[in-house]
Amino acid sequence: MSKIQVKICMGTTCFVMGASNLQELIELIPEKYSDSVEVCGVPCLGLCSETKKYSGAPYVKVNDEVVAEATTEKVLKQIERILKNGQE
Amino acid sequence: MFIDIDCAQEKKYGQNAYGDCFMSKRDPVKGELIAVLSDGLGSGIKANILASMTATMLLKFVEAGRSIKRTCEVVMNALPVCQVRKISYSTFSVAVCSEDGAVKIVEEGNPQFIYISDGRVIEPEFTVIDSETFKNRHMHIYKLNLKLNDRLIFCSDGVTQAGLGNPELKLGLRRSGLIKCLLERINQDPNVPSNELSNYVVKLAKNTEVDRKAKDDISCCVIHYREPRKALIFTGPPYHMEKDRDYALEFWNSESKKAICGGTTANLISRELNIPVKCDITGSVGKLPAVSKMEGIDLVTEGILTLTRAVDYLENGFKEKEKNAAYELVNFLLTSDCIEFMVGAKLNQAHYDPNLPVEIEIRKNIIKKMAKILEDKYIKKVIVRYI
Repeated sequence: MSKIQVKICMGTTCFVMGASNLQELIELIPEKYSDSVEVCGVPCLGLCSETKKYSGAPYVKVNDEVVAEATTEKVLKQIERILKNGQE
Repeated sequence: MFIDIDCAQEKKYGQNAYGDCFMSKRDPVKGELIAVLSDGLGSGIKANILASMTATMLLKFVEAGRSIKRTCEVVMNALPVCQVRKISYSTFSVAVCSEDGAVKIVEEGNPQFIYISDGRVIEPEFTVIDSETFKNRHMHIYKLNLKLNDRLIFCSDGVTQAGLGNPELKLGLRRSGLIKCLLERINQDPNVPSNELSNYVVKLAKNTEVDRKAKDDISCCVIHYREPRKALIFTGPPYHMEKDRDYALEFWNSESKKAICGGTTANLISRELNIPVKCDITGSVGKLPAVSKMEGIDLVTEGILTLTRAVDYLENGFKEKEKNAAYELVNFLLTSDCIEFMVGAKLNQAHYDPNLPVEIEIRKNIIKKMAKILEDKYIKKVIVRYI
């Protein structure tokens, strides 16, 4: 099974809307899922300028799915869901 | 050519004020630089006041467009004599340097400057003008034409007389001793920056003194003609998206040091030039997104927040404990002489959402402010282009 890719947007809007707090995922994810999930930051996912719902920041992409108004819990939940589906 | 100038100083041992005064002013429009070094009589506060007054008058006169010869003559004839020691209140050197290499120098009382070209010392010709009012006063006038990599070194007598009384150097370091050390140092590193060379001379003078205690105020000013260190900063996506590629290529092909400030901008360059960008979020410090890495680009940071913080550091100094992205950016800017900004004019509406917890400045305004500080406070050459 290929690794789940988690991308945290480090753009201006996301950062001020709370992406700085999402950095804990960097330590948390490898601890929890070791090799099955890969997490990295990206300069900007470009989502804040695309969608009209600006209050959606911060954005995180888990594989190709966008997690808007992302929190650590939301992202972990999404990872769990994909892992579970993958196992089914 | 770019004129790299710096001055290092050391106070006389036991004094709490500098008795020498160095001042300089760059006029980017005329492409000219004025430098003044004055040594006030005695030491401490008294010398400091005398030197500062002399240096300020000389700088202001020359800056106002008066001829350097006439200015120096007026000051030479006007400087009073100390009643006790019967010597002049202060001595001075003035240099007016043009970016094309033409230099005019006037010296009165200070040790003769050292002109180094191609690893050798050149002793240029000069004319002497005697003071109308004081018999023992005269100034030396030089007209030089410097070329790339030439240097001029000015110092106060605290340098040439350092070590006086030292059993090994009975007459002190002297000009000849200083020349020997300067040539050795330049030979080791022909590109040594002016701030390093001036600090080297001051340290040398201090170490030559008995017990390493400066017996006089020590100052050394270095002027170096060299190729400008150019920097190019791309921040913000261009207004017309169809021009993204052209601008990305222009940026890439530039010979300058390169920085990108902005996530969208980094993505744009990455997309157009097919260079992956790696973001290191583990290194995020000081409430700023961390720097990213991109091959061939010297620095990649987030945009507005980092720029805003960098302006703050440029204005008020760096006070944080950890080095963040804004620190890196400031360092990038201050180690350059000519800085060009390519400022993308496209706005990201999301930045102006009133729901954002912090106010996000308009990019154009931050860059305008940054350019002004870099020009006024740090004497950089700045070009801003909106794209």
